[in-house]
Amino acid sequence: MFQIKWLWQNLKGYRPLYAAALLLSIIIQSFFLIGPMIVQQIVDIFISSPDALQNINTQRDLLIWLCALLIIFVFVRTVLQFICKMMYETVSQGVLQDVRNKLFEKLQNQDMHYFDTHTKGDLVTRLTGDLELIRHSLAWIVMMVVESGSLFIFTIIYFFSIDWLFTVCLLAVTPLLFIVTRMFSKRSGPRYVQLREKLSRLNSRAQENIAANRVVKAFAREEYEKEEFDKYNREYCEYNQEAAMVWLRFQPYVEILAQSLWVIQMLVGGIFVINGRITLAEYTVFSGLLWTISNTIRNLGMLINDMQRFFASVSKIIEVFYARPSIVNEHKSAERPRLSGDIRFEHVSMSFDGKQVLKDIDLDIKNGETVVIMGATGSGKTTMMNLIARFYDPTEGKVYVGGKDVREYEPDVLRSNIGMTTQEVLLFSDTIDGNIAYGRSDMPFEEVKQYAHLASAHFVETMPEQYETIIGERGVGLSGGQKQRIALARAMAIRPPILILDDTTSAVDMETEIEIQDNLTKLDFECTKLIIAQRTSSARYADRILIVDDGRIIENGTHEELMKQKGYYYEIFTLQNGGADDEEKVV
Amino acid sequence: MARNKYDIDERLETPFDFKHFKRALVYVKRYRARIITALTLSAISAVVALIAPLLTKEAVDVAIPRGLETGDISYTIVLSVLFLLSVAVSTILGNIRQRIMTKAGQLMIYDIRKDLFAHLQDLPFQYYDDRPQGKILVRVVNYVNNVSNMLTNGIINFILEIFNIIFVTIFMFAVDVRLALVIFAGVPVFVAVMIILKNKQRRAWRMESNKNSNQTAYLAESINCVRVTQSFARETENLGIFRRLSTEYRKAWMKAVRINNLVSFSVDNIKAIVESALYFVGLLVIGYPSIGLGSILAMTNYSNRFWQPIINIANLYNNFINAVAYLERIFETMDEPVPVKNIEGATELPEVKGAVEFKNVTFAYEEGKNVLENLSFKVEPGESVALVGPTGAGKTTIVNLISRFYNLNGGEILLDGNDISKVTLHSLRSQMGIMLQDSFIFSGSIEDNIRYGKLDATDEEIRAAAKTVCADEFISGLDDGYKTEMYEGGSQLSGGQRQLVSFARTLISDPKILILDEATSSIDAKTERLLQKGLNEMLKGRTSFIIAHRLSTIKNCDKIMFINNKGITEAGTHEELLAKKGDYYNLYMAQRFENEETVTA
Repeated sequence: MFQIKWLWQNLKGYRPLYAAALLLSIIIQSFFLIGPMIVQQIVDIFISSPDALQNINTQRDLLIWLCALLIIFVFVRTVLQFICKMMYETVSQGVLQDVRNKLFEKLQNQDMHYFDTHTKGDLVTRLTGDLELIRHSLAWIVMMVVESGSLFIFTIIYFFSIDWLFTVCLLAVTPLLFIVTRMFSKRSGPRYVQLREKLSRLNSRAQENIAANRVVKAFAREEYEKEEFDKYNREYCEYNQEAAMVWLRFQPYVEILAQSLWVIQMLVGGIFVINGRITLAEYTVFSGLLWTISNTIRNLGMLINDMQRFFASVSKIIEVFYARPSIVNEHKSAERPRLSGDIRFEHVSMSFDGKQVLKDIDLDIKNGETVVIMGATGSGKTTMMNLIARFYDPTEGKVYVGGKDVREYEPDVLRSNIGMTTQEVLLFSDTIDGNIAYGRSDMPFEEVKQYAHLASAHFVETMPEQYETIIGERGVGLSGGQKQRIALARAMAIRPPILILDDTTSAVDMETEIEIQDNLTKLDFECTKLIIAQRTSSARYADRILIVDDGRIIENGTHEELMKQKGYYYEIFTLQNGGADDEEKVV
Repeated sequence: MARNKYDIDERLETPFDFKHFKRALVYVKRYRARIITALTLSAISAVVALIAPLLTKEAVDVAIPRGLETGDISYTIVLSVLFLLSVAVSTILGNIRQRIMTKAGQLMIYDIRKDLFAHLQDLPFQYYDDRPQGKILVRVVNYVNNVSNMLTNGIINFILEIFNIIFVTIFMFAVDVRLALVIFAGVPVFVAVMIILKNKQRRAWRMESNKNSNQTAYLAESINCVRVTQSFARETENLGIFRRLSTEYRKAWMKAVRINNLVSFSVDNIKAIVESALYFVGLLVIGYPSIGLGSILAMTNYSNRFWQPIINIANLYNNFINAVAYLERIFETMDEPVPVKNIEGATELPEVKGAVEFKNVTFAYEEGKNVLENLSFKVEPGESVALVGPTGAGKTTIVNLISRFYNLNGGEILLDGNDISKVTLHSLRSQMGIMLQDSFIFSGSIEDNIRYGKLDATDEEIRAAAKTVCADEFISGLDDGYKTEMYEGGSQLSGGQRQLVSFARTLISDPKILILDEATSSIDAKTERLLQKGLNEMLKGRTSFIIAHRLSTIKNCDKIMFINNKGITEAGTHEELLAKKGDYYNLYMAQRFENEETVTA
């Protein structure tokens, strides 16, 4: 089984400890077999023996010793058990953590397409619920298999040494058992795959609802949300019940098979004793140890159940584990040299899902240039920016940064040279300080302040805890304009040779926008600026203005040049600045 | 409470007591009938199961020796058949019991999750703003799952074991009081150990649930913001943070588990000591003939039967302590106060005509820090009002107050003369159309996303709404048109397209009052212009509040209010405000001036 092989690989470093734990488990099992013998001694000598009364008087010391031995024996056993359990926990937690860290790393390095096609709730499920099964399998399933298995084998060997025919008769149930459990595992496997899917869907639904809490309230859709969630909740509940029922449908057969051992031993054993094949004492040994076999059989169902769950979950984890991102970032380079800010697009075309978003773009941007990019929504502006930072590779053509194809850089090097703000501002639930210093966490506080000022985030200093204010995830609690300014400060703070601002001041008021634009011209480091904007006012410091339409650059030039062209730019400029006189009165 | 972030443990003010347990029982009680049935079945199957050992004993003591003498095996066969019968009965009864309890247990989990989710829907923005989303998610999904085991098997087994103990205790005392006391002497020790361990255990599991929550929160956030992480090439550093969090979690778990394992360690040893003491006291201290050897033998048997349920209970107790660490978080969320709710006797707000009046409204998010003070204004039905002013001045707050997302600290807001705090929230909010700064796209088709505004909207209505907001063109261009499935968050759409879709969603809800909060910030100028035209029709007869920074959007409004210094500093039409040469004039000129400057530059 690949899943087991995978788990074995991930046991690396813990294998000796795990082997020791398993061995200790087996030793402890023998304690359970030996332990009752001490008690038996006390009973035999001092209670049920015909000379019991005499023995009490004559062998007082032995009795005291046996009592003490009983305590010591149990003490030793429990100490060993404690150690053994902690060993299992150490291994399972260790492996769990290793795998979890690795998965986290894999996810962090996945490409954008991966996150488009996997819901967050599903990914969270894999790293929480599914991973839990790894722990469970190492700390519980394997332990149970080894414990029950060893006990079973001990007993069978012992039994064989007494009477082989009787043992074979007892083992006659195993083929039946095999058939039943096989049928069961065939049925339960798919159930657990489905159940896991339901859990993932439940997670996704809840996650989305939490993320959308404002929309839900704005539309007064609480009742609708409850009804919707109820479907997922109910489904999960039903599948849980169903999965449990599969086992419960088989459980009576397994239980009867386990119990039939007693019947076999009573009947066959009885006949053998009567025939004189075995003695009554030997019969008693059989009946005294039969529980080890019947318990093993009884546990089998539970173990198979858990294993099926394990397989269902581990397959999902393995998927994350081996998913190769199309853009590989190995984080190998120790140094991140500063690149020059030239950018060149050479016959770049880009398609998503067969839809062409960029069409044969040719573009040259010189180091230090300020370029404003405008155009209709969905025309491909953001995609162009994503190609520069190599979040995607173009379907055709090449993108150059600093004179080299972006694919020749390690993404770390390339991206650390690009300060980027995204249209949808994503902030972390951290302090404002921590958010601004995100790209350079060792940044001194003075600098954090400096970049906050550059981004006109003066509001920070009016907050009671200033830069230590914790902002909610995604910056909730801040207004749109405030979030944008923090994101801007964060992008500037890495002093990148290329600064990409995707609609960064759209929610900022006009005065502040002007201030930010002024500040952008005064940066104390050389920097190519690419600014996506909707307002022509953003274009005032631009060296060049690009108009993107339907995946093509349709206008490219200075303000004056474009005004002369009387094209798209001219149109929107007059639209926004024409004044009230020539503009149609709206509303 | 201060905001929480991924690496801050959430403190819990309430100390542990059995109230969590009692509260969990509320969920259990709903399935009282099933549980009683299950208990009865268990009792019967336990009694039937007692027959089996008697039969094996009978076989050894009577049937086989008789067979040895006579060679007649018929009695052995009879016993075997009886044995099989008794086993079959107890197996079937046990199986039915398990079926009942599994179903009931899952239903309890379903109920808890349902109630938790329902309460979350009523909680204010603030609750969601104050903590990472992952910490809420982990409660709804993982924590609820974690208590399932306790509810399915824990409770019923606990009750059964208690019966077992009582049963055996009676027998014990009936046989010999002195030895019964010896066996019993272990109980106070057991209780003492439990009490000593309890607080440590509680703390340890609470810590574990906290660390679990932190780890999940960071994980969820890292997935949400992976773009930013990659664009700042911070993967390695973030992995370090996650490693730290997962190490903290592992340590917390190990500590909790260590204490848990001490419980069974203690019980096993107490049991062994009691057993030894039994032989010692029975045989040497009391001694024959004061006590019969048969009694001692019986008592050692009872001792086993007395302590086994206690060991089982100790294990259940471990599960229980563990589950409480999750239960308390679940209940804590359920107890989270809902500040904005329907007052008693709240009436339905009649169909809104659109007159909005603020009367001396004072509002603060935090006590003593007023965002708005004594704000008063009046808007006539059908008027469009633009709110302008610096970011953070309170524009969004004002529109949020109209929908009563927060309670006022003073004054009142009237809608057509009705105090909005006295009408039901649903009747109020369902007549508002609020277009938020963040345009959230649900997974599902574009059509579903628009339909969210009006659940029974026909396809034609959806198309019409999309046309009005100029979204029809791009939607029709998508592979599956209106049926195109959105990735989570609508990531295949551009920011402007997402705004258009969420705009359509607002329009289709046919709101009586329309609130646009930066609704068009990411939409390009040309589309916005087309949009405006479509909107004109739509806005007719509806009161609207518009927060925007683009002058072209603002200046056409019937009224412009300049918000600053906790109130309105200027109000009037575009022309009036320009004539006034105040804040608005400065703002307007600044933008115009710089544009002209660019023109002439």
